[in-house]
Amino acid sequence: MTEPTSAEARRLAEVARDRVRFEEEALELSDQVYRVARRLVGSREEAEDLMQDAYARAFRSWQQYQPGTNLRAWLLRILTNLNIDRGRRVQRSPDLQPLEEGDYYLYNRLESTIGDENPDEERVLDRLSQNSIVEALAEVPHDFRDVVVLVDIGEFSYAEAAQILDIPVGTVMSRLHRGRRILKQILADKAVA
Amino acid sequence: MMGCGCNDCEEMMQPYLDGVLTDEQVREAKGHLERCPPCDKRFRFELHLRHFVRVAVDEDMPPGLRQKLSSLRST
Ligand SMILES: [Zn+2]
Repeated sequence: MTEPTSAEARRLAEVARDRVRFEEEALELSDQVYRVARRLVGSREEAEDLMQDAYARAFRSWQQYQPGTNLRAWLLRILTNLNIDRGRRVQRSPDLQPLEEGDYYLYNRLESTIGDENPDEERVLDRLSQNSIVEALAEVPHDFRDVVVLVDIGEFSYAEAAQILDIPVGTVMSRLHRGRRILKQILADKAVA
Repeated sequence: MMGCGCNDCEEMMQPYLDGVLTDEQVREAKGHLERCPPCDKRFRFELHLRHFVRVAVDEDMPPGLRQKLSSLRST
């Protein structure tokens, strides 16, 4: 075995330094990644598992990350791929309710439960509890929920969500639109039960 | 009460909130909301709802997970 040249040694030191920096930045983002991951799956335990699998893979394939691009999106892409690999597609409910209410449906339903003719929107919103929102989101079918979670909770753009899920932007938009309506429909049913 | 009943503004609401309308469409939407209190109310409701959903489902990372992730590091 030959001694590494000093140029080679310098290069290796540089790679090692990049790797440390990558790992630190990825860990720095773990709170934010967890917030999204937690809503992509049904339980905290699943989210913890998924986070560990995702970070293990990210640390292994760190050189595939292109510096300067959105690291949080890159981590979530790994995470959502793993989540899909876990066979959750199998559990997808095949028959989705064909009937969908419009965007105003939730507001109109909630408003109707308040005696006032013309209540403030804050009072309408007060009809919803935190629990009902958590439960309702968990009931949205996966394909739609993934998009709603990435855009509305992770605050990713349509284009970023499309990259993370590896689907066309048009599909992101239609799933988002539909997913939000489904969410509001479930919320309305819970709040006005 | 169902807003002003026009499907156009209901269709425009989500893209407006997402900030993906063109300048011209934004002007149009704003103009409509100024003239149409029922839609304006629903618009503000949607705006608050999004914020409310984000806050409601927010859950901190469990204690200890950060340490577990850190132990997966190679460096
Ligand atoms: Zn209107």
